[in-house]
Amino acid sequence: MTSFRREFPLPDTEWPPTREFWSAAKRGELALPRCDACRRWRWYPDATCRFCGSASSTWTAVSGRGRLFSWSVVRRAFIPQLAADVPYVAGLVAIEEDPAVRIVTRIVDCEPAVLRIDLPVRVVFRPLRFAGVRGEVTAPMFVPE
Amino acid sequence: MTADWGFPSDLDDVSGEVAIAGVGEADHTKASGRTTKQIGAQAIERALADAGLTPRDVDGIMHTPFDGQQFGADDYRAHFGTTHEMWTSTAGGGMVWAGSAPHEAALAIRAGKARTIVNVFSVAWATQRADMVGGPGEVHAAELFKQNLEVPFGWFPQPVYFATIARRHMHEYGTTPAQLGAIAVACRRHANRTPAAVLRDKPLTLEQYLASPTICDPFRKEDCCLISDGGGAYVMTSVERARDLRRPVIEVAGVGVGNSRTRTYWAQQGDFTATPQVFAAPGAFRMAGLSPADVDVLACYDPFTIVSLMQIEDMGFCKKGEGGPFVEGTTLHFDGGRLPYNTHGGMLSHAYVLGIAHVVEVVRQLRGEAAAQVKDAEIGVYGGYTGPQASTLVLRRR
Repeated sequence: MTSFRREFPLPDTEWPPTREFWSAAKRGELALPRCDACRRWRWYPDATCRFCGSASSTWTAVSGRGRLFSWSVVRRAFIPQLAADVPYVAGLVAIEEDPAVRIVTRIVDCEPAVLRIDLPVRVVFRPLRFAGVRGEVTAPMFVPE
Repeated sequence: MTADWGFPSDLDDVSGEVAIAGVGEADHTKASGRTTKQIGAQAIERALADAGLTPRDVDGIMHTPFDGQQFGADDYRAHFGTTHEMWTSTAGGGMVWAGSAPHEAALAIRAGKARTIVNVFSVAWATQRADMVGGPGEVHAAELFKQNLEVPFGWFPQPVYFATIARRHMHEYGTTPAQLGAIAVACRRHANRTPAAVLRDKPLTLEQYLASPTICDPFRKEDCCLISDGGGAYVMTSVERARDLRRPVIEVAGVGVGNSRTRTYWAQQGDFTATPQVFAAPGAFRMAGLSPADVDVLACYDPFTIVSLMQIEDMGFCKKGEGGPFVEGTTLHFDGGRLPYNTHGGMLSHAYVLGIAHVVEVVRQLRGEAAAQVKDAEIGVYGGYTGPQASTLVLRRR
């Protein structure tokens, strides 16, 4: 049995591999690690590059523009912490800099009926809050352009 | 699409070396109060009885390490009152390993480490769900990249991942909800004929499927597998020794394993609408000297309808992207369908015991003793899946 942090499902903004992602979001940037050797985006941020094996990378801000890769309108709260959120749109955004990199996110501020694959979207920063969980974390979400 | 997002495992040719000589299923139920180990013990008892073996005859045991509750060698000796040495391996169990365990077992038997090996898998996730522990979601929520980059956005648990994959498949290939529904309906029809199936008494029509609401669109409840208590076991030995046992010889003709470089991070998988069966199936068919056209009955690990559809495509039963039209109508039905599929009802309608019951079902089909029996089935295939890996197990009646 696994024991989860009391703040679950809020992210652990101090967990080293993704700490920079969350601190960038807090100052209003979408940043991802880029391999110093082959210059590819390293997403998710593994310790070494899965293309060239280099261990060296630098967190780098991206434009925040991309295209909607796919999504689901989630109507059932699969965990109780999401009870106040349903229905919500969870999905993947392929970033402009490299469409093979997909950010898991929420699509907000629009009716699901307007969504289509490859819809141009841009990043916004919104608080994540969950029912029965203390605290909040600023997170990158996306809206139609 | 270039297939550089994964790769096949390099496996020894074990074709014709081992047979599955006995199979057993525990009772498959909703929450039952049983423990994982109790369920495993019942499955092994039944597999031994089926093979006509005594507990002392089994000198090897395979299971999965993943939940720490599986029935292992110490449990075996305590339960059956023996003290004998047993070769053990954690490369067994359900999911992808239900298909790849026979390869590992063949190598062990070849090396003289064991003569007769049981592979067992059981779950009590229906019982455990009441306590919000165990189950498929917990495994994923505990993984730290997922916990910190996916779960906070509500892209969790598995129904949400695979709904997202299904929508993309619909976009790329024109797949429709009714085509996904055809898979759910075929599986339910088979479960309705299978006394051991959890949903044996619940019919499902395509009209009912389409009229039901989505829970995470495009998925309806009936696109998603059950949560069950249950399990299964199968006994492997050399083909030579199997000839002396009481059951028909069901030979392991081919095994293949495929891997995704992005592991369990579906969001980053190079081909989002494919499974590592792309890398598993060709090797298994090559080892067996057979092709998908030779297969009489197929059973795939089916957590969601879309995972069935993708594996059917990726294993080569139809062209990539043509799975939707392929599964329409009665293609997957046991009685005259072109590709009888999950003839016990699969994880959608039989039980969510993670693939072990699929292998049991394929063996029964090849013996001619299944509840929804495919006429004259000689070649059967199991497609195993975990996300990071897939396996193909080709079985043949000798």
